[in-house]
Amino acid sequence: MKSAIVIGSGISGMTCAVKLAEAGVEVELVSPFPSERSQSVMAAGGINAVLSDHEDGDSVACHIEDTRRGGRYLAGETAVAGLCGHAEEIIRYLEGIGTVFSVDENGLPARRAFGGQSYRRTCYCGSATGKQIVSALVMETRKYEGAGLIRRRLWSCFHSALILDGRCCGVLLFDESTRKIEAAYADAVVIATGGQNALFGKTTGSTQCDGYTVGKLFLQGAELKNLEFIQYHPTALYTGQKKMLISEAVRGEGGRLFYIENGKRVYFMEEKYGPQGNLMTRDIVSREIERTGRQVFLDISFLDSRQIDRRLPEVRDLCKKYRNLDIAAEPIPVEPSVHFFMGGLAVHLNHETNIKNLFAIGECASMYHGANRLGGNSLLAAVYSGMIAAKEIAARPSEKTLPEEQTDFVRQLESANEQLKKALEAGVESPFPVMYIREMLAETMNRDLGIVRDEASLDAGISDVDYYLSAADKITYDSSVMPYEIYSLKGILSLAKAVLVCAKERRESRGAHFRSDFPEADDDFGCATIISYDQGAYRVRFDKERAYES
Amino acid sequence: MKVKILRQVTPFSESYWETFRAEVTGNMSVAELLDHLNYHDDIVDENGRKTTRIGWECSCLQGVCGACAMVINGVPALACETFVKDLKEEITIRPLQKFPVIHDLVVDRSIIQENLKKTDIYIGEYKPAEKKSTTEALKEHDHQYTAAKCLKCGLCLEICPNYVNGKTFFGAVFANDCYLVSTRNREKASEIRKYYGEHFGNTCSKALSCVDVCPMKIPTLASIAKMNRKILT
Repeated sequence: MKSAIVIGSGISGMTCAVKLAEAGVEVELVSPFPSERSQSVMAAGGINAVLSDHEDGDSVACHIEDTRRGGRYLAGETAVAGLCGHAEEIIRYLEGIGTVFSVDENGLPARRAFGGQSYRRTCYCGSATGKQIVSALVMETRKYEGAGLIRRRLWSCFHSALILDGRCCGVLLFDESTRKIEAAYADAVVIATGGQNALFGKTTGSTQCDGYTVGKLFLQGAELKNLEFIQYHPTALYTGQKKMLISEAVRGEGGRLFYIENGKRVYFMEEKYGPQGNLMTRDIVSREIERTGRQVFLDISFLDSRQIDRRLPEVRDLCKKYRNLDIAAEPIPVEPSVHFFMGGLAVHLNHETNIKNLFAIGECASMYHGANRLGGNSLLAAVYSGMIAAKEIAARPSEKTLPEEQTDFVRQLESANEQLKKALEAGVESPFPVMYIREMLAETMNRDLGIVRDEASLDAGISDVDYYLSAADKITYDSSVMPYEIYSLKGILSLAKAVLVCAKERRESRGAHFRSDFPEADDDFGCATIISYDQGAYRVRFDKERAYES
Repeated sequence: MKVKILRQVTPFSESYWETFRAEVTGNMSVAELLDHLNYHDDIVDENGRKTTRIGWECSCLQGVCGACAMVINGVPALACETFVKDLKEEITIRPLQKFPVIHDLVVDRSIIQENLKKTDIYIGEYKPAEKKSTTEALKEHDHQYTAAKCLKCGLCLEICPNYVNGKTFFGAVFANDCYLVSTRNREKASEIRKYYGEHFGNTCSKALSCVDVCPMKIPTLASIAKMNRKILT
């Protein structure tokens, strides 16, 4: 193919854009803001890879097994084997473009232990792995911007896809600087918009990852997968403005979880799971913390202060700044927080959705993590999926968009602009801020789709979201906010409903999805959940034929 | 508490001051304060007149993305890590003034990326120079790690007495990326030196106010020293 539009310029979007440009494909890289603002910069801990100088006993097969076991065997073996099998190549690539990895005495990438893994295989860049990879990829992207192969389109938000007869031919984009919706055409469209944080209000992630693009594509016919699997990170520090992630690296460096009973520390994870208890997978640790019903603390203060400065400087700064707490002297109060979405757009092995020429990569796509994700595997999947989609697009012949199809798209564009104009004309006097509905949604989702769920709570959640959806179209919104906030509401609400419906249909417990009314895993549900939208109906099926594993 | 904000509806309209009253609690940051003003209740000015929601940018809300850079009580800073308890009774907030305003506190900082693009500031291939000792290598590595944490937030440019509009002098953000590229790829060092001199080295008056406001505490002085040394050799 000759041209592609990539929506989202975090690690996955940039990797895809660079790899497309390397193959000579012209790329439009779309995002409202530069890559430095993407959620990727917040990925702290590391990136997993079995390198040739691995620990004795470790192997790619072992990384595959850890990943699949962590995901409770929901992720397809071929996909996971591809991911883990290319991990060394990915580290070498990132090193090659100048990423500042933490290195050992021989100058080779250092590795640390991470939760749920049998060996130390997590490469890292201090406590800022994502940021360092972003910095290197921004430079690599710049190289191709200079060569004219990548064009960044800033201030642009996704509005909708241009789809005809099951084929994607481009997108409508809202330009914040001109306040107009414009059409952009390309041979392929790649979605790299990250997770769906806004469904839950304040999370550990970026406020920019709102799930709208995935929600809108769902309404336009794209199938979604495994939405009910939402990872809670067990250790977040609560502040007024957000939930701050305390990196798993703290536990990797020996950090211990405890609560206080009768004035004594109870190391509940070690008591239940042995000396490695603190490094259990995130779902288990989160549920155990919830089960204590008390304030839990994470202690790293036994480490030498200089060692903390050297290995966990960002964690130390963050706690000092937002809670005036010195982690070298006192333990950190932690609580679980929504952190990562294993579900998203359903994609085949080549990262194409059920809509032809529409691809999805990174966190917004569902592929490698199954029912739960290992720490250190999300950065790996972000880079890998970007590479895979680029390879597929570059190898495929272009299809010409017919003039009559363009006419249909022009109509779609005109209608979108008319709707936008109406919303803006509503004026300042119209009282209702769209953000209030988003806040109500977050309250519903946190209450009814928490770490522990049951049918009654999920039904209550669905009923709430149905009400928001029925009211959403009838309200005149305060138009003094960015128009994107107004037009994105329906997509976000629809996605929220889809998540709740999937969680209700999966009548078992597996990985990050825990049902108190069905507390055990059930083999009947040992495959992916697929949800599709058909004229108002949310249809769920379980992918027993494994249609998305090819 | 009184909060005065410099506002502007569109890139082409006039700016104006608007004053709000806010109740401040605990360890509230300016980001939290803006959110509170916007969505605690209907938004009204200090006289109770209804007004529009305040536009500002945020993403990470923990000081690692640079979105919420603005000028708070005369000091360029990130709103998410400036705390109200550390400020005076009246807070004054305005957008960064060295960049064109898009809306209220949202500015267009794309000149930063444009300048790096037109001077080919990218590593391309990792080819470090040989180091004499492990200690030296470790020190260099730490410096590179910190330089690569640059947020491209523009605070260093806002405070810089030499930076005007980015047409000729590109500021500390540029100097640090020059340092990073020339030490991560020795083959690009001489090309980078040329651009460094032209767009930074020859003009910087070493006021070093950039170092004080950098949220990542990048040792710009050390970057400058290393780049200047390279110019001499």
